Amino acid sequence: MVTSIVLRQYKTITILVVLGLSLLFVTLFSLTVGAVSIPFSDAVVILCKSFGLFNDITIDDTFTVVMTSIRLPRVVMTLLIGAALGISGAALQGLFRNPLVEPSLIGVSGGSAAAVVVLIVFGSAVLPSVALWSYSVMLSLAAFAGGSAITFFVLKLSMDSGRTNMAALILIGVAVNALTGAIIGVAIFYANEQQMSMFLFWTLGDLGGATWDKLRIAAPALILSTVGLCFFAKPLNVLALGEAEAYHMGVHVEQTKRLMIFMAAAAVAVSVSLAGIIGFVGLIVPHLIRTIFYVDNTLVLPASALGGAFLLIIADIIARVVVAPAELPIGVVTALIGSPFFIMLLLKSKRKLQL
Amino acid sequence: MTYEANNISLSVSGRSILKEISLCITPGKFTAVVGPNGAGKSSFVKIMSNEIAHYAGDVRVNGKNISSYRPKELSRIRSVMTQHPQVQFAFNVREIISFGRHAHDTTSGHNASVIEEVVDATNLHAFVDRNYLTLSGGEKQRVQLARTLAQVWEETLYPRYILLDEPTSSMDIAQQQQMFGIIRGICSRNIGVLAIVHDLNLAAQFSDEICMINNGRIQNVGSVEEVFTKENIEETFCCKVNIYRDPCTNCPFVVPTNENVLYNMSITK
Repeated sequence: MVTSIVLRQYKTITILVVLGLSLLFVTLFSLTVGAVSIPFSDAVVILCKSFGLFNDITIDDTFTVVMTSIRLPRVVMTLLIGAALGISGAALQGLFRNPLVEPSLIGVSGGSAAAVVVLIVFGSAVLPSVALWSYSVMLSLAAFAGGSAITFFVLKLSMDSGRTNMAALILIGVAVNALTGAIIGVAIFYANEQQMSMFLFWTLGDLGGATWDKLRIAAPALILSTVGLCFFAKPLNVLALGEAEAYHMGVHVEQTKRLMIFMAAAAVAVSVSLAGIIGFVGLIVPHLIRTIFYVDNTLVLPASALGGAFLLIIADIIARVVVAPAELPIGVVTALIGSPFFIMLLLKSKRKLQL
Repeated sequence: MTYEANNISLSVSGRSILKEISLCITPGKFTAVVGPNGAGKSSFVKIMSNEIAHYAGDVRVNGKNISSYRPKELSRIRSVMTQHPQVQFAFNVREIISFGRHAHDTTSGHNASVIEEVVDATNLHAFVDRNYLTLSGGEKQRVQLARTLAQVWEETLYPRYILLDEPTSSMDIAQQQQMFGIIRGICSRNIGVLAIVHDLNLAAQFSDEICMINNGRIQNVGSVEEVFTKENIEETFCCKVNIYRDPCTNCPFVVPTNENVLYNMSITK
């Protein structure tokens, strides 16, 4: 028995290391593909140079510029967003004790998108002379504010004598999503063609807008919430037996729920503010991890972060390569590769499914 | 040092569920709560375990008000087995039992040896690596009981308590006897047990004290001999019974009389 527990710990570490190494490999590969194709060895050298290594080797300047100012910020952003979406999905599914939950359910994505579309369509009347760069920062801020405000509103409404009623939270989330959908609909009704195409970016997702400046603001929030959520693996395991049972076993249920929802909402809102709505990653990645390996959250949470980053990097490579030099919206790619794979997996493990 | 409820009253939406209930669980003793369906037994256990917070009266654990304990601190003193907890993900049996160790800041090696002892005691060797979701109702209850025991397994300087809500309702008679034997045995480790028991004969066989609840009030409380009289049971359960004695142990056992069957048959005619 003692050895089986130690074995399980080794297994978890091994799985995480293998996932991490695969992620490293696809990340390096992703740095080499695109409109300018950079040899793998050069990509590695440029990376090492930024850490002060291999300074004596000379590399084509174009490669260096493309890598450091375009590819690297994009890849770093993709990694952080993928990890944040994956782990938020895993955390919320565990918390709601429902494998169908994904971050958009509590209204984060809808709130962000609604705030953005309202700003795009009606904001120009109020803020006509805002320069383009600050306009994009404002859109990101609006996405973050909209997502956080809606989540806060949904949480507040679902409070029942000091406790969060999870069933009410899901139902209010559905209603609020319908409301934000309606707001988006009204805004689109008044939008002109240019505004419509701008809005398309937010609903289908786009990783192309990555810059080091944006990352400097967003990365700490994404890293903090992703790493922070990993620390909740053990209470989340106990919560699988139910909230009352978890309390009886010593989990501070309300505090755990609020902190986890706050971190997941922050992670998703920041992601939407950077790259628009990217669906499906938060839903399928935790599912895959649980089906392929096991359901212990000490594995599921960190592995969903790694798996989310992995999936998004792959999706980004496809988005950049398939219709080069143009790009497919990233949300379309995650859904296109995610859904058939997901259905296949569900059909294979139908017997194991329970709601 | 006891686990005591003082003058507990509970109303939900203006309807009175419990009225002035006082009861004391003593370490080393097995107290059974019996009563008809809807009498308020589960609500009482939920108050005792601090799951329901809006009630009148107070619950004190080892001399301290239950609401002043932090969750981890409280869960090292008392563990609770609720009725049919629903597990959503495919954890295996060992993982479920290990959740009982959540509040203990002990090493994983120590936790593993506690789990091993509990698995030994509850005879769950054949199940430890099975998916919990594939177990039968009775097997799930055995696992939940093992998880409950793992939470308060080690000897400590302070008394510990176990609250059980119908712990063996899905088990066959052999398993019921085995599990109640284990629960009875664990009392000697300075543990007080409070269990809701539907089967009056199991309650008579294993309890030190019986608390009979009806319509939210304590109808009778005392030893098995004092509480399990023909009059008390017939009045509380509205059912004609005969009380016999086990020839070996002299323990009372309760058998509903044929009159009930004949009466019910006459209604359906």
